[in-house]
Amino acid sequence: MEENRLLTITAPFREGFSSLKLTERLVTLTTGYTPDAERELQEASYYDYPVLKAPVWRWEIIWYFFFGGLAAGCYVIASIASLFGSREDRAVARTGYYLSLLAVLPCPLLLTKDLGRPERFLHMLRMFKVKSPMSMGTWSLVGFSLFSGITTVIQAARDGILGRWWGPRVLAALPQRLIALPGTAFGLFLGGYTGVLLTATSVPLWSRSKVLGAVFISSAISTSSALISLVLRFTRAPVPVLHKLERLEWVALLVEMTGLLAFLRGSGRAARPLVGTGPTEHGRTFWRFVFGGGLALPWLLQTLSLLGKRSEKRRSGRGIVISLLVLVGGYFLRRTMIEAGHTSSTDARTTLWNAKR
Amino acid sequence: MAVKSARSGSPLRTMVSLLVGNKEPPLPSQPAMGFFTDTSLCIGCKACEIACKQWNQLPASDPVWTGSSYDNTGQLSATTWRHVQFIEHIGRRDNGRNAYIDDQIAQAQLEGTIPLIPPGTALPFFNTDRWLMQSDVCKHCANAPCQEACPTGAIIRTEFDTVYVQQDICNGCGYCVVACPFGVIARDEYGDRTAHKCTLCYDRLKDGMEPACAKACPTDSIQFGEVEQLKAHARERLGILHERGVEEARLYGVDDAILEGGLNSFFLLLDAPEVYNLPENPPRPSNNVVPASLWTIVAAAVLGLFGILFFRE
Repeated sequence: MEENRLLTITAPFREGFSSLKLTERLVTLTTGYTPDAERELQEASYYDYPVLKAPVWRWEIIWYFFFGGLAAGCYVIASIASLFGSREDRAVARTGYYLSLLAVLPCPLLLTKDLGRPERFLHMLRMFKVKSPMSMGTWSLVGFSLFSGITTVIQAARDGILGRWWGPRVLAALPQRLIALPGTAFGLFLGGYTGVLLTATSVPLWSRSKVLGAVFISSAISTSSALISLVLRFTRAPVPVLHKLERLEWVALLVEMTGLLAFLRGSGRAARPLVGTGPTEHGRTFWRFVFGGGLALPWLLQTLSLLGKRSEKRRSGRGIVISLLVLVGGYFLRRTMIEAGHTSSTDARTTLWNAKR
Repeated sequence: MAVKSARSGSPLRTMVSLLVGNKEPPLPSQPAMGFFTDTSLCIGCKACEIACKQWNQLPASDPVWTGSSYDNTGQLSATTWRHVQFIEHIGRRDNGRNAYIDDQIAQAQLEGTIPLIPPGTALPFFNTDRWLMQSDVCKHCANAPCQEACPTGAIIRTEFDTVYVQQDICNGCGYCVVACPFGVIARDEYGDRTAHKCTLCYDRLKDGMEPACAKACPTDSIQFGEVEQLKAHARERLGILHERGVEEARLYGVDDAILEGGLNSFFLLLDAPEVYNLPENPPRPSNNVVPASLWTIVAAAVLGLFGILFFRE
C-alpha cells in the first residue's frame, strides 16, 4: 500500500527523467552530435568568458519576426488565390489582404522600439546596402508596406467599405492583380530575409547552417495559411476553399520540418542551445511547442483530416485546433531561435570550435 | 558657398543636393595605420587600458572581482577599448615534459652550464608554468564584419584604413554587435545607446600623434605604425623569437587568412589563438548572405508552386 503510494507520488518525476533521456536521444539523432563533456572541457578558452557579445535583440524582434512573417505570408497566399484561384477563392484573397495589412502595422513600431536611439529610425534609409540584410530588409519592409497598403485599400474599395463616392470608385478600378505581382515579390523577401539576417552573423547557432531563411519563409506560409483558414472557418467559407488552404498548410509544414531538420543537422554542435535539455538550453520549449506541438502534431492531424471522410462539423473543430497549434508553434520558433542565439553567443568553446576550418 | 556650388551644377544635381545635402568629397587617402600587439613583451601593467579610458573620456566600469585572475576587466565593451588578459598556465608540468626538463637541469648542474630553454616556455624559467598576458583591442579588420553589417552607414573606413563608428549616425540597431566575430563592438546600454569601439584614436591620428595606448605602453608591446611596415616588423620579431627557441610564438592576423584580408590590428601570440579567446579562422558573416538567400528562394519557389497548383484546380 505504502509502496504504491510512493510510486504514484514519484511517477511524474520518473516520467520526467525518462522523457528527458528520450529528448536527449532525439537531440543526438537530429544534430548528429553526441555531447562529450570531458573532451569539451579540455578545449582551450580564456576562463570560458564569452568570445562574442550577446545580441541586444529581445521581445520586440521576436514579435516583429512573427508579425512580419504573417504579413508576408498572408499577402503571398492572397495574391496566389486572386491570380490563380476561382471565384470562390476571392474570400481567401480578401481575408489575406486585410490580415496582411493588420499584421504589418505593428512591424515598424516594433523595429523602432528595438533601436538604441528610436528617434534615429530614418537613418536606416540613408543607405541601400546589398551586403547588409538589415538594410535590404528595411527597404523591403518599406516597399511591402506600400504595396500591402495599396492592395488592401483597393480591396476595401471593392468591398464597399470606403463608401460610394468617386474616390473608392477610382480605387476599385485600379489593377489590383497587377499591383499584387511586385507586392508578392516584396512579400517573399520580407518573409525570408529575417532568416538570412540571422545567418549573416557570427553567432554559431544562427550562422553555421545556411537554411534559416528557408525555415522562416516556410513558417511564414504555414502560420499565414493557419491564420487565414482560422478566420475563414469563423466566417463559414465554402469547404473547397478551406480544403485548398489545408493542403497548402500541409505542404508548408512539411517543408518547414524538413528545413528545420536540415538546420539541426547542419548546425551540429552549434544547435545544442536550441534543442538541448541543459539548464540554459531551450530544448524543452523547442520540442514541446515548436517541433512537437507546432509542426509534427498539426501535420499529422492535417494528414488525417485530408485522408479521412469525417463530418464537416468535426473537421471544422479539428481545423481550428490545427490552426492554433501552428500559430503558437510559429511564435515559439522565433522565440526559441532568438533566445537560444543569446545562449549560443555566450558559449566560448562552441564559438571557437565554429571558427576552426 | 552652398548656393554658389548649387548654381554651378546641373539642375538635377542641385535638386539632389537640396534634398540630401551636399556630399563632402572623401579625404585624401593616407597610408593604412594599425597596431602590432606583441604579447611576448606584455607585462600586464594595464597602462593601455587606463590611457585609453583617459584620452577617450570613457567612464570606469563598476569594479568586479572575477576571481579567475588579475583580469578584473573581463572583456572589451562599449566603454573599454583595451583589455589586458592574464592567462595562467599553472601545473603544466603534469603533461609529461617534466622528465625532459629535469634531465636538462640535472645535466646543466653536472656540467656547471646554463640549462637550455625548455621547449614550451616563453621565458627562460626552469618550469613550464606560464603566465601569458595580452592587451586585446579592436582588430580593425580589412573586411570588417561590423562595417559590412551596418545598415545606416555609421561604420566607415577612415582615410587611415581604420574602422570608425560615426556616433551621430548610429541608431543602435545592434547588427554590428552580432556580426563581429571577436566580440569587440558593443552597444552602450548605460550611455547614449549607440555602438562603440576602439577608434584607433582617430582624433590623435588627425594631428599626427600615435594612439594613447601605444604611447603609454612601457614595453612597446603595443606598437603603432603603417600596417605594411608593422607587418614586416612582426615577421622579423617572430623570426627572432623562433631563433631564440620560443617555437610556440605565432602571428595572428598578419597574413590575409583571417576574414579574407587579414587584420590591420594584429598580434604575436605565445600559444594557440583559442587560449586568448581568439577564433582561429572565423567565418565572414557577409559570405552567408548568398547561400542563405538561395535556400530561401528554393523554399519560396517550392511553396509558391504548390500554392499555384492547389488554387488552380
